[in-house]
Amino acid sequence: MRVSLNWLKDFADIQAPAAEVSHRLTMAGLEIEGMEEAADGDILFEVNVTPNRPDCLSILGVAREAAAAFGRTLRVPDTAISGDAPASGIKVEISNPELCGRYAGRLISNVRVCETPEWIKNRLEKCGIRSLNNNIVDITNYVLLEMGHPLHAFDADKIQENLIRVAVAGTGRTITTLDGIERELPPDSLLIWDGRKPVAIAGVMGGEESAVTTSSTNIFLEAAYFEPYSVRRTSKKLGLRSEASYRFERGTDIEFLENALDRAALLMQETGGGTIHRIVDAYPVKYAAPAVEVRYSRVNSLLGTGLKNEEMLEILGRIGLKTEDRGDFFVVFPPSYRRDITGYVDVIEEIARIYNFSNIPVRNPRAVLSDGVLNRKEAIAGKIKESVRHSGFSEVINYSFMNPGDLDKLKLPQGDNRRKYLTVMNPLRSEEALMRTTLLPSLINNFLFNLSRGAGDVALFEFARVFINNGASLPSEELRLCGIYYREQARSVWPENAPSFFIVKGALQSLYQELNLRGLSYLPSQEAFLHKGKSADIYADGNKLGFIGELSPQVAEGLGLKVHRPEIIVFELDIDAVMAASPATRAYVQVPKYPAIERDIAVIMDEGITSAEALDALNGFAPEIMEKVELFDHYKGKNIPQDKKSLAFRIVYRSRERTLTDSEIETVHAELVAYFLQKTGGELRQ
Amino acid sequence: MDDLSSLKKEFCEELESVGDLNALQQTRNKYSGKKGLLTAKLKALSSVPPEERRTYGKTLNEIKDFIETSLKNRELEFKEGEKEKRLLSERIDITLPGRFVAAGSRHPLNQVLTEIKDIFVSMGFGIEDGPEVELDYYNFEALNIPKDHPARDMQDTFYISEDVVLRTHTSPVQVRVMEKRRPPLKIIAPGKVYRCDSDVSHTAMFHQVEGLMVDTEVSFSDLKGLLELFIQSFFGKDTPVRFRPSFFPFTEPSAEVDIGCIFCKGSGCRVCKTTGWLEVMGCGMVNPRVFEMSGYGPDEFTGFAFGMGIERMTMLKYSIDDIRLFYENDLRFLRQF
Repeated sequence: MRVSLNWLKDFADIQAPAAEVSHRLTMAGLEIEGMEEAADGDILFEVNVTPNRPDCLSILGVAREAAAAFGRTLRVPDTAISGDAPASGIKVEISNPELCGRYAGRLISNVRVCETPEWIKNRLEKCGIRSLNNNIVDITNYVLLEMGHPLHAFDADKIQENLIRVAVAGTGRTITTLDGIERELPPDSLLIWDGRKPVAIAGVMGGEESAVTTSSTNIFLEAAYFEPYSVRRTSKKLGLRSEASYRFERGTDIEFLENALDRAALLMQETGGGTIHRIVDAYPVKYAAPAVEVRYSRVNSLLGTGLKNEEMLEILGRIGLKTEDRGDFFVVFPPSYRRDITGYVDVIEEIARIYNFSNIPVRNPRAVLSDGVLNRKEAIAGKIKESVRHSGFSEVINYSFMNPGDLDKLKLPQGDNRRKYLTVMNPLRSEEALMRTTLLPSLINNFLFNLSRGAGDVALFEFARVFINNGASLPSEELRLCGIYYREQARSVWPENAPSFFIVKGALQSLYQELNLRGLSYLPSQEAFLHKGKSADIYADGNKLGFIGELSPQVAEGLGLKVHRPEIIVFELDIDAVMAASPATRAYVQVPKYPAIERDIAVIMDEGITSAEALDALNGFAPEIMEKVELFDHYKGKNIPQDKKSLAFRIVYRSRERTLTDSEIETVHAELVAYFLQKTGGELRQ
Repeated sequence: MDDLSSLKKEFCEELESVGDLNALQQTRNKYSGKKGLLTAKLKALSSVPPEERRTYGKTLNEIKDFIETSLKNRELEFKEGEKEKRLLSERIDITLPGRFVAAGSRHPLNQVLTEIKDIFVSMGFGIEDGPEVELDYYNFEALNIPKDHPARDMQDTFYISEDVVLRTHTSPVQVRVMEKRRPPLKIIAPGKVYRCDSDVSHTAMFHQVEGLMVDTEVSFSDLKGLLELFIQSFFGKDTPVRFRPSFFPFTEPSAEVDIGCIFCKGSGCRVCKTTGWLEVMGCGMVNPRVFEMSGYGPDEFTGFAFGMGIERMTMLKYSIDDIRLFYENDLRFLRQF
């Protein structure tokens, strides 16, 4: 809200420089977000008023705070209407008193609708409201800014049957509002009716038909109190917000509205002449201040202060709060403009605010131990991210949204878990309408983005949640690690010539090592978006952890890549499954005491036999003294027949009880080799 | 005797001029070979008159030792030199790069988040989390933000359904933790949050860290103490901190925490809008209504809560001026971290 310092000085005698006023208000909770000098030398503050303080949505309200901050008294404008006014011809009825606590009005007869005086125009415009150069409308706005109470002016001659009735819309009602738009009214919206039809949407906007025009001569001026939630609901449903609805939905001052009404009536008479009639005032239940009890000791224990009882009461007196001392507690009676004060903490906050937060002592909290239940999960997550990063992948963070078309691009079958997505009702853009069920589409986009900006080598990963809609009220939120790898050319002083697939697989192996994960198996992947011959699903103990593979040429083509035969390797792991498979503890194994004997064999076998199958065969025979088998060479090409390949293994023999002899090994090794050749149909490579 | 001293002199001069092992061999042959000069002298010893023979023989032997030792030393010298030469010929270009896998980068947001977590963990805080897709109840109602309350305008909300939202802040974790556990509590809850506005200074998703400490005698003084400690570990020891009143429905009193502008050191600049202060966090004493909603007795405990935006902290830390850079994931940006 824009506040003019000169206007504010009408109500509080403040001489301090603007910067000091700004500082004190900010430190009292009215944050001054900006300050500028107007053409006439006035200072304009941009005040950020929090939703709990509607009383500060006016010059007078801010002046009240400023007066308290500088120890001055507030000058409330005199609005007394002198002389005996004639009776009003218009009656007021409230049919829904639960939605309208008070409805007051004054008839001003024979008033001239004319140009607005310069000083009013000037103040309105400095505070950001355009003058309509219509004294009646401008004055309602002027009083709204000054006193914070919205007013509405009707052309009294358009009010049929001289009756104002406040009642809900019911079904099937429409009204054309001041802005010329015909609106369908929600049945529960509160309206102002005349004897026949609706003339205004209570607290939101007046109707066009009963509006003041230049030919109006009799004005009926409304000042009412509408229930905040009702105004808010109506304004939201209609998508119609106004200066008036903004204040009503935060809460206006039910007592003070009379002063605002009178202030406006007097200003109208001053500018346009006419006669002010007697007030009509429907006010069924008068405001009674609640009594809020506060223990003195609670104030100090919550704030950490050592305030004396009388200091607390003095502080509250500065902002106009009436208090009564009752021994070890006191009672506060909040005025009608401070309906936000309902409990003892609200009072403590007022004390703290006016006492100034800076005066509250600083203390280091007493040490308390607290067990963080996520600490293991956090630690593992940290290890995972660091491991992948050390393998050359840079971390990205994407929005948790995806595009409905993303799943089709990946050719995910119906019934796939990743098709169980959540939809956002009000997305900012249609491409961000779904919650991600896989991180892959985001990573592909990141890859394309970087490729288009000239990055030749792209290795990215993301560690984030996906959201699987299992039909429960909340989705299952699962952690995923997803990566994408693309190398334009293996150009380096020291070339690395492993195929991309194995570079990425190696990165995952480092990760497993970090997590002490063993015994993983790779089976041909079932994922439709991966290259059939260059992809794998990864399993631990029969549970699928994820996939790794090259994007299938069809999918890659669909991305519109201009790269010739791009080899894009992607992977995604279910981190909850990975964590479950990672042992929480490990036990020490005795270091061997006796020397090992090693034997190497190279076997030519069918190309179709995988290295895992070959290792399984060797491990399947596993004589007792065999410690381990390692694959150390994989060769195809010269000297090896087509459709064949050579695999070489190192077999380590060792006994835990004694030193083995060569002759002992020979028999066992010969048996192992024979078994292996028979199992694989291979032959020893000479 | 003169012939001996001139032999020695001659040998010395010759040895001096020897350039390699071959020449050395020739010199050796010339003096101590079978037909060498020295050998000849030894053979001729018998023809030396008996009275001179003793002295002559002694000197001759000394010269013999001298020549042999000198030859041997010279040979060693030559061999060392050749080794040296061979090593030099094997020289590599030590300025070529080493072979290594260049590590990727940490996302700046996670870097800062990790730093923040480490500071709080070092102060004894545990780490908790909660769902990002959250019930309206936890995101709003239990935090004292009823439906139809203007405080809901402070946070533009993405809805999944009438009762399910994308959490607009990490504060719902407070209630979820308090429902499960009794004080003393000392936790932080980092995570993603969502708001449906997007412009130069807002993104639809961003990160927050929530903090909560609850016990029997926690006061606003403790809150000030803890956050000053945190801010000074994060922004530097001499960073000025101020607390000013604000409003959050779930804390009372509520405060905004400002730090002295780290760019202009408080003298006023564009970043701090000439105020000399930068807003970095919100905080306050837990509203008793929130305790009640979480199942605690109304006056059983006191506590404080605080929250901060990681994007904001990161932008301040690295002088980043556009929040959208965090989500573009341009490697040229990411690799700077």
